[in-house]
Amino acid sequence: MRKISIDPITRLEGHGKIEIFLDEEGNVANAYLVVPELRGFEKFAEGRPVEEMPRITPRICGVCPEAHHMASAKACDAVYHVEVPPTGRKLREILYSAFYVADHTVHFYILGAPDFVLGPDAPPAERNILGLIHKVGLEIGGEVIRCRGMGMDIVGMLGGKTIHPVGALPGGVSKAINEEERAQIEAWGHELVGFGQFGLQLFHDVVLENKAYVDMILSDAYTTPMYYMGLVDERNLVNFYDGKVRVVDPEGNEFVKYAPDEYLDVIAEHVEPWTYLKFPYLKKVGWKGFVTGRDSGVYQATPLSRLNAADGMATPRAQEAYEHFYETMGGKPVHSTLATHWARLIEILYAAERIVELATDPEITDPHVRNIPTETPDEGIGIVEAPRGTLTHHYVTDERGIVQKCNLIVGTTNNYAPISISIKKAAQAMIKKGQVISEGLLDRVEMAFRSYDPCLGCATHTLPGQMPLEVLVRDGEGNVVERLTQFVE
Amino acid sequence: MKTLVVGLGNPILTDDGVGIYIVRALEARCRRDDVTFAEASVGGLRLLDVIAGYERVVLVDAIQTCDGKPGDIHRLHPNDLRASLHSGSTHDLSLTGALALGRGLGMVLPDNEAIVIIAIEVEDVLTFGETVTPAVAATIPCAVEAVLADLETGEP
Repeated sequence: MRKISIDPITRLEGHGKIEIFLDEEGNVANAYLVVPELRGFEKFAEGRPVEEMPRITPRICGVCPEAHHMASAKACDAVYHVEVPPTGRKLREILYSAFYVADHTVHFYILGAPDFVLGPDAPPAERNILGLIHKVGLEIGGEVIRCRGMGMDIVGMLGGKTIHPVGALPGGVSKAINEEERAQIEAWGHELVGFGQFGLQLFHDVVLENKAYVDMILSDAYTTPMYYMGLVDERNLVNFYDGKVRVVDPEGNEFVKYAPDEYLDVIAEHVEPWTYLKFPYLKKVGWKGFVTGRDSGVYQATPLSRLNAADGMATPRAQEAYEHFYETMGGKPVHSTLATHWARLIEILYAAERIVELATDPEITDPHVRNIPTETPDEGIGIVEAPRGTLTHHYVTDERGIVQKCNLIVGTTNNYAPISISIKKAAQAMIKKGQVISEGLLDRVEMAFRSYDPCLGCATHTLPGQMPLEVLVRDGEGNVVERLTQFVE
Repeated sequence: MKTLVVGLGNPILTDDGVGIYIVRALEARCRRDDVTFAEASVGGLRLLDVIAGYERVVLVDAIQTCDGKPGDIHRLHPNDLRASLHSGSTHDLSLTGALALGRGLGMVLPDNEAIVIIAIEVEDVLTFGETVTPAVAATIPCAVEAVLADLETGEP
């Protein structure tokens, strides 16, 4: 068996690595994404007061601290059996929606869009945010940064800190907003709605009007039917902050809908000998290996899966965009990995509209934003949709609220198996009978996992949107017979 | 010169917090009106927000290089980095990328020459913990002196 390694040369905080194994005929047998796992969080958490968790868990990840903050606060609400007052809940959701706008904006414009707007075959040195700005104009580039900044400013206003928010507490939030702050959030929200519409228009003009891109999105190399997961409200519409987790099968029919405290009945985790990572799967379907389809318990939790798992969007413009998405893609569910970028843009618009909705809610300036917990703490589970997938925090405490047990299923973890499968499919299109189509292999493989926006907890980037990769093609004895690289000196 | 000293890293990931510990020690030693101290656990665009508006920036962070020994101190400029510390991630821009973007968009940022990176070679950044490993702990006082000397001479 030959082995191809796509391995970032620059190791800093750890590194992600892609291994491609060929069979005897020289075709792709398997492909895996190998990432370093942070160790010992459960032990680290044990013995700490549970109310510290919303401030500690955001430190797990420099990319999505807000998601951990929110899932943790919700788990604490459950531990203390305390109901959050309506205004506290709405303020949390504004903060969370603003975070979504900022986070998705970074992913789409800085990492995703260069592949499309400049094209996957553009020279890698130009295929980055700077090349993008060169093409679409400085003004638009400035707008992207400004709108991301607005999202972060709302997070800072409501969370107390922009980087690691501290605003959510068991039972609510620490601070109400006044009329001036409300008006500011509303004004920013309107601007962000315009920005969300702009993103969809850009996608339409640059991607959908270009047959080559549409063909690529719809191509078999990027099509992987599987189960799809996402949080929905009581009307089965997409919600990032609260609701039940709905899973649909590869045909789009509801497979299960579960409340946070039922997650262990639905999700199990598979362990492989070659990695510390665990691969979550649907317990009732079972783990059948790195394969997709109805008989495999592999599911994905991404912007695309959230749209697939829901019946629609809760805001009008996003709903229109949702309908247009499925009409264009030929019905529900959509199985094309690259359509995740489009789904992400629809979510930006939804999040922006939701900010305006909540900022104009008559009770949003109500000073009653927290119920002080009075019950004895014991056990609680909190779930939110992180931008990279369903995020579950589960704490067990003693009667003093000291953490005895802690379990987290983080966004990207849900997608480890689908990412590996997508990489395999992309590689299969580029490697046939031992012939490696070196031109574009790295790009196509990178595009396959980039659409998942994986959070690897590690440093694998050099210049903007560029990942140092090395591909080693080895023969049966492990000798290197071919070497492909990008951004490696 | 309006200077910012930023401790970068994650204070709950063993050696990853070293930059933050160094900056805390510096803050206790250096009281100057023109020097501001900050802590951040982020890179890319989020880091750009932190350093915008300063004329000179000192970043203190953990690093792992191929041949480095835990406790080694590297003194680098952004141009020396192919990939930068925590500023690199699959989700965001690298430090050099973020700087190039920010300048391209007209943000007020220090020149690359006015950004110095004090990087401490570390051992373990994958285990949760609030203390650094012994070799890294032993190097903290040296790193503090190195940054203080830089701040005194005004050399970026």
